[in-house]
Amino acid sequence: MRRALLALVTTVVGLVVLLDVEVTPLPSPLAAGAATPVPGATTATGTSVATGYGPVQVQIAVSDEELVAVTPISLPAEDPRSVELSSRAAPLLAQEAISAQSADVDMVSGATYTSRGYAESLQSALDQVPALTPTGQGS
Amino acid sequence: MLAWWWVSAAPVRDVGGALTGAGRLTGLVAGYAMPLLLLSMARVPAAERHVGADRLARWHAFLGRWTVCLVVAHALLTTWGYAVASGSGAVDQASTLLLHYPGVLLATVAAALLVGVGVASARAARARLRYETWYYLHLYTYLAVALSFAHVLATGEQLVGHPVARWLWSLLYAVAGAAVLWYRLLEPVRSTLRHRFRVERVVDEGAGVTSVVLRGRDVAAMGALPGQFVRLRPLTRQGWWSSHPYSLSAAPSGDRLRVSAKDLGDHSAALAGMRPGTRVLVLGPFGALTAERRSRRQVLLLAGGIGVTPLRALFQTLPAAPGELTFVYRSRSIDEMALRGELVEIARRRDQRLHLMPGPSGGGWDPLPGRRLLHLVPDLREHDVYLCGPPGFTTAALAALRRCGVARSRVHAEQFSL
Repeated sequence: MRRALLALVTTVVGLVVLLDVEVTPLPSPLAAGAATPVPGATTATGTSVATGYGPVQVQIAVSDEELVAVTPISLPAEDPRSVELSSRAAPLLAQEAISAQSADVDMVSGATYTSRGYAESLQSALDQVPALTPTGQGS
Repeated sequence: MLAWWWVSAAPVRDVGGALTGAGRLTGLVAGYAMPLLLLSMARVPAAERHVGADRLARWHAFLGRWTVCLVVAHALLTTWGYAVASGSGAVDQASTLLLHYPGVLLATVAAALLVGVGVASARAARARLRYETWYYLHLYTYLAVALSFAHVLATGEQLVGHPVARWLWSLLYAVAGAAVLWYRLLEPVRSTLRHRFRVERVVDEGAGVTSVVLRGRDVAAMGALPGQFVRLRPLTRQGWWSSHPYSLSAAPSGDRLRVSAKDLGDHSAALAGMRPGTRVLVLGPFGALTAERRSRRQVLLLAGGIGVTPLRALFQTLPAAPGELTFVYRSRSIDEMALRGELVEIARRRDQRLHLMPGPSGGGWDPLPGRRLLHLVPDLREHDVYLCGPPGFTTAALAALRRCGVARSRVHAEQFSL
């Protein structure tokens, strides 16, 4: 009987402690994707594209007719999983966009919706900068 | 809901997706199983009467084992799937989940509790634990279910953003919880206050069997039928914390109930220690071994050892013309045949057949091997059979009846197990 009482008290105390634990939220994916500002660059902001998990919107920086930076303004971050995936995807997508100099980026596995939204927003930003013509294509 | 999961789940594109999908599926099924586990042990009278307490207990144990496995699989698969999709290591992913995803820590505790209970319920462990210890440990499942419910509600993919689904899910758990609360907590309180059962007499029937005569109010309102059992909870300092099943060994009469049990394990000894005047909480009646299941005029009552208790009540009360009832009582020795004097008396008074068959299994007096039952009861195939006894006996008896060509639907069995 005494053991049972002890077990009960331990359980209650344990439960109170457990419920009190606050998880630290993951850092915002926007921080992961931020790029250093380039002086003298033209910027353009793409449209906000809705995915199932939150909107994607990017801002581009163009200098000397070249895409130099892609900065995410909003990324799917409504739940921790999206935060995790967006944090990983954003830098990869930015890197690829810059090397491809276009919105023709591969989907990041596990973050297909984010990747598609990213590409769409990026394309709409690129369309706003007339100086930026896609390589190998007529204007 | 599984169909809906099939339709709504994201298409699987890669290994990570496949693993995560499998993780979600195992989680969903486990989440479904939990209210079922609760309901099967809620002691809902309709279920106990028509399905039978012993069958419900077996289903519960079977489903419980699977649920523990599913929960563990869910945790491992989801972590692994997430790890593959994010390109991180499994351990890294696990710590991310635990530290940064709300509710995962609680869910992990729930899973650990379930595994602990599962381990403690394994046969090897149960043999070494006292019944009370195992019982207390098992209570932790309630906590695990509550934590799991919160986890699913917070993170279940099919539930996030789907209010109808959340409602239905909550309703399912609420119903299961309400059933447990009512039938295992509130209704017993109500019953005690209404019936106020007390021990009137304790009788030693010999062979380690003890009968207790209980006296209370509104006994008829309980609707206890011969062949059923009740769960007794003596309201004493030692006995109050758990209830145990004891068969009605005689028809309820007036304001009295007589129950009998054999001295097996520490809890039945508590029965013998009950003094006249002790207040007792009587739950029930439970059990499907009643006259309601009879389909033929001729009935064979086949009792092994302690299985005699409910069958003796049926022998006394089943409506029958002389010769239509046959009682076969199997036991290791004549001294272990409790209540035989009463059986002889009933057989004489009602002009029915009684065969007392003591001896080792397989020996000369054992009616079970081969088709000896047919020799004993030539028109056995025209009989209904009521069967009760320890697990080994009921298994052997069922096999014997099958060999003799008795249809399974005519056999009404209840198995006693600890």
